[in-house]
Amino acid sequence: MRMAKRWRKRLRALVRRDAVDREMDEELAFHMEMETQQNLRAGMSPEEARRRAALAFGGVERFKEEVRDARSLGWVSGASLDLKLGLRMLAKYPGLTLVGGIAMAFAIAVGAATFELVAEVVHPRLPLPDGDRVVGIRILDAEAGRPEERVAGEFLAWRGELRTLDELGAFRGASRNLIVPGGSAEPVAVAEMTASGFRLAGSPPLLGRYLVDADEREGAPPVAVLDHRTWRTRFAGDPGVVGREVRLGGTVHTVVGVMPEDFGFPVSQGMWTPLRLGAREYPPGEGPRLRVFGRLAPGATLDAARAELSTLARRRAADSPETHRHLRPQVQPYARAVLDIHWRIVTGAAYSTNLGVLMFLVLVCANVAALVFARTAARESELVVRTALGASRRRIVLQLFLEALVLGSVAAVVGLAAAGFGLRWGLGAFETVQGEIPFWIDADLEPRTVLYTAVLALLAAGVAGVLPALKITGRGTEARLRQAGGGGGSARFGRLWTGIIMTQVALTAAFVPIVADVGMDTEDIRTADAGFRAEEYLSARLEVDRETVPGVPVEAPPEELDARLRAAYAEMERRLEAEPGVAGVTYAGQMPGAYHPRRPVEVDGPAAPPESEALHRVQAVSVAPDFFDVLGTPVLAGRGFVPGDLAAGQDVVVVNESFVREILGGGNPVGRRFRYPDPVKGDEPRVTAGEPDRWYEIVGVARDVTLTVDPDLPHNAGIYHPAAPGGGVPLRMAVHLRGVPLRMAVHLRGDPEAFAPRLRALAAAVDPTLRLHELRPVADAREAALVTYEFWVRVAGMACAVVLLLSVLGIHSIMAFTVSRRTREIGIRVALGADRRRIVAAVFSRSFRQVALGVGVGVLLLVVLTGGIHSMKMVGLLAASVAVMLGATAVACIVPTRRVLGIQPTEAMRADA
Amino acid sequence: MSPPAPNSPSASSDVLRGTLDLLILKALSLAPMHGWAIGQRLEQLSRESLRVGQGSLYPALQRLEERGWVDSEWKATDQGRRAKYYELTPAGRRALGEEAESWRRYVEMVDLILRTT
Repeated sequence: MRMAKRWRKRLRALVRRDAVDREMDEELAFHMEMETQQNLRAGMSPEEARRRAALAFGGVERFKEEVRDARSLGWVSGASLDLKLGLRMLAKYPGLTLVGGIAMAFAIAVGAATFELVAEVVHPRLPLPDGDRVVGIRILDAEAGRPEERVAGEFLAWRGELRTLDELGAFRGASRNLIVPGGSAEPVAVAEMTASGFRLAGSPPLLGRYLVDADEREGAPPVAVLDHRTWRTRFAGDPGVVGREVRLGGTVHTVVGVMPEDFGFPVSQGMWTPLRLGAREYPPGEGPRLRVFGRLAPGATLDAARAELSTLARRRAADSPETHRHLRPQVQPYARAVLDIHWRIVTGAAYSTNLGVLMFLVLVCANVAALVFARTAARESELVVRTALGASRRRIVLQLFLEALVLGSVAAVVGLAAAGFGLRWGLGAFETVQGEIPFWIDADLEPRTVLYTAVLALLAAGVAGVLPALKITGRGTEARLRQAGGGGGSARFGRLWTGIIMTQVALTAAFVPIVADVGMDTEDIRTADAGFRAEEYLSARLEVDRETVPGVPVEAPPEELDARLRAAYAEMERRLEAEPGVAGVTYAGQMPGAYHPRRPVEVDGPAAPPESEALHRVQAVSVAPDFFDVLGTPVLAGRGFVPGDLAAGQDVVVVNESFVREILGGGNPVGRRFRYPDPVKGDEPRVTAGEPDRWYEIVGVARDVTLTVDPDLPHNAGIYHPAAPGGGVPLRMAVHLRGVPLRMAVHLRGDPEAFAPRLRALAAAVDPTLRLHELRPVADAREAALVTYEFWVRVAGMACAVVLLLSVLGIHSIMAFTVSRRTREIGIRVALGADRRRIVAAVFSRSFRQVALGVGVGVLLLVVLTGGIHSMKMVGLLAASVAVMLGATAVACIVPTRRVLGIQPTEAMRADA
Repeated sequence: MSPPAPNSPSASSDVLRGTLDLLILKALSLAPMHGWAIGQRLEQLSRESLRVGQGSLYPALQRLEERGWVDSEWKATDQGRRAKYYELTPAGRRALGEEAESWRRYVEMVDLILRTT
């Protein structure tokens, strides 16, 4: 109680200083009055009584100061004075404030955004009630060393038995054709989920209802719940959407509800339908691929859930060892269990990125520190005098720290806003390239990020304020006191600062051309020659639903899927060719311009020497027999494909001009043979073609089209394999083409995008489960590459601008510092009639030499980094870099030079006084 | 920190600051009173030989309040005038006992030395 009262009084003394002072006045007045009355009683005249009382009391103001000093929070008022001083300093040196502030704000923004991303990815927090208690269960197949995802049987067993988990549920993601009557037919990401998922996530629906357990029963009418975005874009936000019927692939569903905008459980999807596992038996390794989730029951811990699951697993393994012996259930935090990410690599990458960004921040702050030091040195006399008047070193360092903290805080606020903005933009760009991101990753800054930013601001203030302060108040202050007041002052712009600034100059000189180069790459991508009239083509990836029976999560055998896809394609081709606007239809494993992976080839007979590796690497792709005809890329030598090439055992290929030039080293390629020594790598089978260890014969050479648009991958050697849509007929092709995305190119007369809706309508009419993914003009294939490039160009461009700005200011600091130190000398020279231009040259010669050295080191660094000067472009970039740095130096010199030119001899005399 | 103001009329009866604190605590141990009354009380208790400079008295009171030994409150005087009254806290009462004890020991020690040499 008393303690609390005491603190309240202290706080009041601090915050309501006026009121407290008034009280003190009142107390003193009372004292004087009593004293006067006593004097009156002693028989004095009223004037005499008052005079004596005042005399007895002494100086009132001095007294009040003493009382204030007795308060233990005196130092805080000192600090608040420093804060005020700090603000005044910001206003007094607007250049430093602006530049230092921008630099710090940029560094803090990058730091905060990186931290936010790292935090969201590595330590995700689910925006759900009790989000940290939501877990996922995965089963590890200990024998195969990989996760077993077909876990429907286990899930159903757990559902009846697990006590440590509530709202146990499961979902699987699927892509479905959403066909809105009177609207379009477009694929939508559907989550087939148990109703428990909605209960666990705890958000009430925006319209209608969400799924309930009864919806999962076999025979229940098919229902669907819409995501907010789907509702807005596909149903135009229709408030009467509940009750409407839509087709999802082969089945008609009734819309029963719409979820609110911030709802995204389980990952990110456009619709929810009930997960119907029915009353079937699912042995391990059969049934749909599921993800299982639940929330720790009240009082249960993660370890308890793990223990319970292990017990269950042991019991199951004892009952049926053949099927369950090797299965190990694992309970993990939800986000970790649901995303297929190599967590160790991601975590490592995230932390190292964060560390790199922190170092960038320190570098930027060190630069700001150099600027602050230059300014602080100019205030040297003030500081020295204060020291003489009894201010402790700690007091002065604190003052400079608080000044920097004011700057850092402003920068932190700006930086946070910029980080939020940048994240929104970055995530948007990422979504464009990669598809939707999980619901728990958003651009809103979390409290922990704000806290981290506060720490960054402190760090920034520490580097930018305390370092210069320690240096300026270091040894020899007293010696300086003797000289202070003279114009000179005696602080040196130490080697450390000069070193920092020159490193900065060197880095800038090396950095600017690199960013310019990436920027030019972006332009190259934009204007790259496709080698055919890419703008006339529309492409889409075709898929059909994998289920045998609509609504039942059991997949058809691959042969059946192939047959369905082939039939759908044939029908599409027939109908499209009847369209007046269509000039031709063909297909390929990958469209020209998009990314084609490379694989090593081994040529039978003479070949060009490979560049660096033991084997040439080429791009291989499967195409339709009429691919070259429809794309209008003539076969220049030998022959093109004929339908007979699709038969088994016909291992013929067509290569492009680049292949002949780069791999064979010229000559007649027809009849030559090659093979792939290695199988296709795990992440590439969806695009590439060709089997390992089989000799392929080249039957023709096609004119070049640019297969992969990427300035970093300039070699265009490519191999075309003939393939039927969906594979199947020749056994070899069947193996290879299963899972190969079928891209159909429709050659149009007119605008390709205008035809897109028609194409969708045709597909829906052919087969409601036929989905058109990535429907876009072929010319847009480069967009994905562009988005990534542009992102980096912008971020690197901004970093570059900040570094350049800092370099300019660093050079400026040195120059300005030099001038202020040599005012007297300059004045004398002027008095002796020296030529001003020669004075400028003399004063700045040392600084110029330092800058030149920095630029030279930077250029050297760049040459080393890029492995030597290869091209005229490189020479041009280097020249541009030197020009930019010279320009920067010139800009940095403007103010100091004017200062030198303006110095009058009288000023020098005064400076020396 | 704040020796009696130089213009205090009885600079001759300066008291050590720690001693002044002790004396104030003692004065307040009888009853809560305002600053002026404390000065009067000390003068009276010392039979007019001690005049505490107000320049020392109020900072001392402030210090004691900071330390939590006294507490203050605005109240009306007998004449109906508003005044700030100081009062001993339990911690102050304990402190008074300890300070008085150590003062006595100090005096005895000085006395002992004076007598033996």
